[in-house]
Parts: sequence; C-alpha cells; structure tokens
Amino acid sequence: MAELRTEEFLVNMGPHHPSTHGVCRLILTMDGEKVVAIEPVIGYLHRAIEKICENRTYPQCTPLMDRFEYVTAMATEHVYALAVEKLAGLEVPERAEYLRVIMVELNRIASHLIFWGVTAMDVGAYTPFLYGLREREDIMDLFEITCGQRLTYNYIRIGGVSKDIPPEFVPKCREFVKMMWSKFSDYEGLLNGNPIFLGRMKDIGVLTPEAAIAYGASGPVLRASGVKYDVRRNDPYSVYDKFDFEIPTQPNGDCYDRFIQRLDEMKESLKIIEQALDNLPEGDIKCKVKPKLKPPEGEVYSRIESARGEMGVYIRSDGTTKPMRVKLRGSSYNHLMLVPEISTDVLIADVVAIFATLDIIMPEVDR
Amino acid sequence: MDLISHIKNLLLGLGIAGKHLGRHAITIQYPEQRYDIPEGSRGIVVLLSDKETGELNCTACELCMRACPTAAIRIDSHRDENKRKVLDQFIVDNALCCFCGLCEEACNFSALKMATKYEFSTLDKDDLTWDVKKLQEVGLDVDYVDTRKKKKPKPAKPVSDKQASTEPAAPAKDNTETAAEEKPPVADETVADKPADTATEAADTPVAEPQPQPATDVTTPTEPTEEKPPPSPEAPTETPVEKAIPKTEDKKEGDQTDASA
Amino acid sequence: MISPVFAVGELDGLFRWLNELLVSIGLPQPWQDVIMYAALSATVFGLLALIALFLVWWERKIAAHIQQRFGPMRVGWHGWYQTVMDALKLLQKEDIRVATRDKVVFFWAPVICFVAAFSAYVCMPFGRGLIVADLNIGILYIMAVTTFTVISLLMAGWGSNNKYALLGGMRSAAQVISYEVPMVVSLLAVILYVGSLSMVDIVESQSGWFNWFIFRVPFGPIAFVTYTVAAIAEANRTPFDIPEAEQELVAGYNVEYSGMKFAMFFLAEFINMFTVSAIAATVFLGGWNGPWLPSWVWFMGKTLSMVFLLMLVRWTYPRLRVDQLMEFAWKFLVPVTFANLILAGILKYLGYWE
Repeated sequence: MAELRTEEFLVNMGPHHPSTHGVCRLILTMDGEKVVAIEPVIGYLHRAIEKICENRTYPQCTPLMDRFEYVTAMATEHVYALAVEKLAGLEVPERAEYLRVIMVELNRIASHLIFWGVTAMDVGAYTPFLYGLREREDIMDLFEITCGQRLTYNYIRIGGVSKDIPPEFVPKCREFVKMMWSKFSDYEGLLNGNPIFLGRMKDIGVLTPEAAIAYGASGPVLRASGVKYDVRRNDPYSVYDKFDFEIPTQPNGDCYDRFIQRLDEMKESLKIIEQALDNLPEGDIKCKVKPKLKPPEGEVYSRIESARGEMGVYIRSDGTTKPMRVKLRGSSYNHLMLVPEISTDVLIADVVAIFATLDIIMPEVDR
Repeated sequence: MDLISHIKNLLLGLGIAGKHLGRHAITIQYPEQRYDIPEGSRGIVVLLSDKETGELNCTACELCMRACPTAAIRIDSHRDENKRKVLDQFIVDNALCCFCGLCEEACNFSALKMATKYEFSTLDKDDLTWDVKKLQEVGLDVDYVDTRKKKKPKPAKPVSDKQASTEPAAPAKDNTETAAEEKPPVADETVADKPADTATEAADTPVAEPQPQPATDVTTPTEPTEEKPPPSPEAPTETPVEKAIPKTEDKKEGDQTDASA
Repeated sequence: MISPVFAVGELDGLFRWLNELLVSIGLPQPWQDVIMYAALSATVFGLLALIALFLVWWERKIAAHIQQRFGPMRVGWHGWYQTVMDALKLLQKEDIRVATRDKVVFFWAPVICFVAAFSAYVCMPFGRGLIVADLNIGILYIMAVTTFTVISLLMAGWGSNNKYALLGGMRSAAQVISYEVPMVVSLLAVILYVGSLSMVDIVESQSGWFNWFIFRVPFGPIAFVTYTVAAIAEANRTPFDIPEAEQELVAGYNVEYSGMKFAMFFLAEFINMFTVSAIAATVFLGGWNGPWLPSWVWFMGKTLSMVFLLMLVRWTYPRLRVDQLMEFAWKFLVPVTFANLILAGILKYLGYWE
C-alpha cells in the first residue's frame, strides 16, 4: 500500500470571520486541527486617519479621533486633547480634568464589558455578551445625557470638555456604579469557575513578561503577565495622581489571566469614578481656546492608558491651523503581533481564544 | 474535590442563566416603543426658523460650513443690491455628516441645531442630501433657545459696502435678516459664480475667513478655492475674526446653562 | 406483520376508516399495507415537522429571555409562526451550489441527514399505543439510524470542498462516533435491567409510582447524567457543538449550504435534539407513564423538559475544544458508563430492586 500523503493546508481566517473582531485576516497554516503558523494580515480597515488629520484644523481632528478607536472613544479624544494642549500650552480647568477622568473611566468599563462578553462569545457562551452590553447601555445613556452621543462622543475637546454635565448626571452615575458593583457576582459566577471555560483559557497563549516587554505590549495584556506598569501610575497625566487605586496584576499571563485582569480593572475604574464624583470641583469646564488654534512650531507626544493599553498621539506642528503630521499609537497593533508569538502548538479554537483575550480592535491597528 | 467543585460551578452558571429567564426584557420593540432621546442628543442637522416671523435664522455667514470636518454642509448665497448676504441654498449631505456637533457650536445665530431626530433612512442615497426647504421643514417643531440679540432689527438703512466690511458680525446679521424679510431667497446667482464671489469679496465679508475649505480631500462645491486665495485678505479680516471669538464663547456658555436648566 | 395501533380517538378512527376503505375497494393486501404505512409516515412526519418548527421558535424565545430580550415578536402572538415563515423564506431562496463541489455527495448529504433524523421515530412511543411499529429491537434501531447523521455531516463537509466545512465534517465524525459509545453503554445499563430492547417494554417496566429508572435503581441517575451529556454531544449542541463552532469554523459542515438544503440540516438538528430528549424521557423518565393526564401529554411534557434543559445548557456554557471533547469522552464518560454497566449487571444478578 502506498504511503498516505499528508499535507498542511492554508485557512484564511477572515477578513470576514465571526471572531476576528472586525476585518483582520489571519492566514493559518494548519496541520489538521493544529495550527502550525499564523500570519496576521492587516489593512482592511485603513481609513488614513493620520493623513486626513493633516488636512483638518486642530478642533476638527477630534471627531476623527473618535473613529480611531471607537470602543473607547473618550480615551482617544483625551490623548489627542492632551497632546494639543501640551503643544499650545493650554491650562485645562480642574473640573474639566475630573470630568475627563470620569468619562474615560466609564468608557474603560464599557470597553471591558464588551471584552468580557465577546471573549465569552468567542469560546462559545453566547449569553454573557448580552449581559455585558446591558450594562454598557447604561454607560452609553450617561454619555448621551452628557454629550449627546452614544459612540462617537466628540466630548473631550482641546482645552476642556464640550459641555458641562447635566445635574442628573451625578446621581445617575452613582446609581450605575452601585449597580455595577452588584453585577460582578453574576459575571464571576457565569464563567470564572466554569470547568469548560477554565479548560479553554488556562495555560493557553502564555505570554511571558519578557516577551510582553519585547513586543511592546501594554495595558491589561502586559499586567496580566505580571508586569506592574500602568501609564496612569508610572507617568501620571490629567489628575490621576490624586486618586487612590490599585494596579492589579496576574501571575501567569495566560488567556484566563488576561480575562480576569479586565474584571479586576473594571473594579479599579469604579473606585476611580467614585472618588472623582466625590471630589468633583466646581469651576470652568473649558479654557479659552481660539477657534483658529495655531500652536507654535514643535512636536509633542502624549500618552495615556486606554482600555487596551498605552495609547499615544504624536503631533508635529508647523505653526499653522493644521497639524503637519499626526501619528497615532494604538496598543492593539503591538498586541496583534503577539498572536503568532504566543500561538505555538495550539488548535484553531485556541487561536480564537488568544485573539479574543488580547482584546484587539482592528480600527486601532489599521487607523 | 475537583469534580464536585466543577459540578457546583456548572450548576451555578445554569442558575444564573435561569435566574435571568424570568426577568423582564430590557430591550424595546422599536417602531412601536421608542427610546426617550435626552434633550441635547445630537441627531439630524436642521435649520431653525424665527419663532415669530417664521423666517430662517441663517445669515449665510458660512461659519458652520467652515467648522464642518467632513464638508457635509454647503451654503450658496449671493449679495443683494445693499451688498447684504442672502441665503440661496443650504445643503446638508446627511451621508457625509458625522454628527460631531461642531457646526451647532460654531453658529452664532441659533440658525442650525442638531435636533433629537434620528430617522432618515431612505432607499436612495441621494435622498440623504437635504436642501434648505427640507431642513427648515424638519426643523419647524424643534424647540431651541434663541441666543441672538433680542432687539428687533432696525429698519433697513442704506449701508455703504465699505462700512459694512469694517463692522463686526452683529450688524451684518441684522442687515441680512431685514434683507431676507424684504426678499425671499432667490437663486439668481448660480453656484458656479460662488467661488469667485467668495474670493473677490472675502475682504468685505465681516465674518468670512478666506480660509480654504478644510476638507480638501472631499469633493466640495468650493473646490476651486483650493487654489490658495491670496494671503493678503487674511490680514484685514483678522480683526473681525478676533472679535467673533468672545462671542462664540459667550454663546456657548449660554447654551450650557440653558441645557442644564 | 406488525400492525400499527393508534389508540387516540379521532386519529384511530381515521386510520380505521382508511383501512376499511382500502379493503372495500378491493386492493390486494401488500398495497393496502403500503398505503397504510404511507399515511402513518405522513402523519408522523407532519407532526415532527411541526415539533421541529416549534422547537426552533422555542429555542429562540428561551435564548432571548435568558438574555433579557424579546426574541421573535412580529409574526403572530409572540412570533409563534415566525419559523414557519422562515422555512417558507428558505424554500424560496436560491439554492447556491459551489462550483467546485462534489455534486453527488453535496446533494445527498442533507437528504440523508433529514431522513436519518426522521426515521428514528418509527419506534418512538409517543403515548400508550401511539407507536408506529413496536420493533423488538427498538432502541437499537433508533441508535443505529441516528448514527447515520454522522455520515451525512461528513458528506456535507467533504462535498462542499471548503476547508471550514471539511474541518467541521471531520470533527463531527470524530465526535459523534466517540460519544456514541458512552451513550449506548449508559442506555445498556437500563436495557440490561429490563431485559428487552423494545421501547414499549422499557416504558411499561417503569409503570407505577416512582418506578422511573432515574429514581428506582442506584445506577439510574448516573446513567441519566452520562446519557444526557453524551446526548448533547450527539445532537451537536453547545457545549459540544464543535462541528459547527461558529466562532472557529464559521458554520462548520453546512457553511456552503443555503436555501432548503440548509433548512434540512437545520430542522434535522432540532429533530435530533428532540430524539435524544425523547429517548431520555422514555428510558429514564418513565416515558408515557404518569397519573391523571393522557399518556401522550406525559411523554411530551417529559421530552420538552429535557429539551428545555438542553437549551438552558446551550445558552450558558462555553464550547469545549476538540481535544478536550475527545478526552472527556474516552477518559471520563466511557469508564464511568462501563463501571455503571457493571454495577447494573451485578444488581441484576443479585436481584435487587426488582
């Protein structure tokens, strides 16, 4: 009998695939169910945001920033506003900074809720996704009464925020925080101890601290590998140095740790929101900014801790109303490059879990 | 023992899912039930009309057009015999609009607003481009706070064009308003004339900045102005622009207090 | 010749009337049988199609309510005939056939899947006397016929000439064959105790108060749990739905199917779910036995409770990975079920709980 011939085959996972969170394409070289090699292909969501920014005035770029990373649009606006303020030397009122912090932290929770639901969905549990979105809706409602939009806020502006919070915001926000604290028991009960979930997540896609640092990973992915690094703590911006919060870390750096890490971070964000609501100062919400803002010549890089990791904006100004060059740094890009690195000796189902727990969002990769 | 704790956790999950089974749905049945849109939510751009006269508040100052990051707004205007601006056409391409609200904030005359309306789906993409009639019609029942000067416009007095050019924004508005009362907007000047109009008369317009269209990568009717207008007009207009700034700020403050009240 | 016995008023009268009619027009005996069986099959087929459509609607409703949504609400009261409309829509849809398909295999896969799913009901006791044919090898027949599904899934995976479909087909072959073992062995424990393969005998041995096998004998609960787990896998449902794992293989074996062919796979899946639940109800929960209510109500009630459990599990748990699935079958379920079988044998030999 002739020897059986076996061969590896290529599977195109994406750009249209239920679990690639947008339009990422992973070229999988498979040996049966085993994945031999992964090659991510990006660029399907390229909208040339950086280039468009060069043709827009500084205030006009803010709506574009919403589209850079739309799951935590507040954070993107925040980092851009910080960069331009640094460039133009603007003093932001303290109340505005507090409002920014509240919004960004709320948005971080919203993003982690989506992560929580989507990760559960990617390993096959459908229901948590809806529970996650249910709580996220409340956050969106808070945003809508504040700035009038639910996804692309255009709220954090250069020099402050666009509108003051309405009087009903603070009680509603407190109510939300209280409600959110009570939901964690459901969240943890649904998945955290589930043996199927543990089997799918434990010891899958282990990311060592060395590899994480070498690949420039940041945010929850880095912290889940045990590296205690958070831009909010290590390079405080805005008013984050006034808050008391923990930087949670996890020991193993596997998928399960990355999953738990987000749950822990939600709790810390809730703590920050509580403190910010307690200490919310009165005052202006925006400093005087000329409509035709012309920052002096120069360059600036500002960075913040977004829900996915370090997010940065580099702006070079030539003294006109429009930036000469804008470069956006999204942490998803680095995290996507981790997928081939940590997917060694895995099955196709693990690739999905790894991809999900890295919380990659494609607009941030492709820009 | 592992097995027992595993079974316990599995049952716990089932319990949580089962607990939700009896709860009421949190979603709504959309066309019949509707979500309460909070005041201040940003929906479709509409043009506002004066509550008393029913005329449009718009003075064709083109500030919103300039503020728009996606060039969704197009304004056509012409000068009447008194060199006052008359609005001919106000076009919003809702397909381009990104609902950022910058136009609303740029407007000093309570002329346009992002209403809390959101339903404008059509089967034809062209139907998303709304002209002045449609925008006014949709905006008729939109409540707003009039932040313009409360006093009625003075009777139209002949203003020489040189005087008008040096005056700041407010009188210009009055002029245009009276002009609008006298004469309904007629498209006697074609769109094609418009860029030339802007280029030559930029120095005369009080609020107009001879800034090229911000959205250079989007095709706009004012594309010809892309050929850098002479830098000289920028200097004379610097003063009116500077004057307009505190105005914008004041207006915004007023808006917020009203919204929060 | 096994003669069909229908004992519910109207239906029974109808069949008697049909039989008399056939006799009166003087058809030869074989033709009479053929027509009678065709009429019976049509009845069961129609009933099952209705059940399948109902189950689709029910599943959507349960999923929606677990997730605090409404689910289908538009077509009829709470969207009760939504699935009928969906089926009509699927009928009208274009049957897209991949150019590179294996023509014969691609065509026959859904047909076999559909037929295999339905033919299990030849000896399913819906109630006292409500059985098409009480075969003396009833349960063996059901297990044998439902296993045909795996061939169809493999055919679908191969015939589609799609890598996702192929992976799905291979997975389903591995999965269904693996879980067939614990499933049959856990049923064997009961069969051993009853001493008959006939479905009617199994049900009748459970008549009386709390004589259901799940309560009556110590190996009952274990066999029930192992059977349920294996049955979920057999019906390709979460947490064992790896053949069509949406997040991994998009739709698995039926990724290239559309229109009515897809509907056949889809309905067959729900019929399979009903089959495994019905077997559980018959073998472990006493089948049609129960006080006061008509026998078929008890049968349907027990079966639908099982279906409900399966649905709750479906919408709660994550999916196992393919290697964990096989490990679970061979390293846990098979030893447990065999130990259970030995326990049942010993108890039978010692004559306890007769």
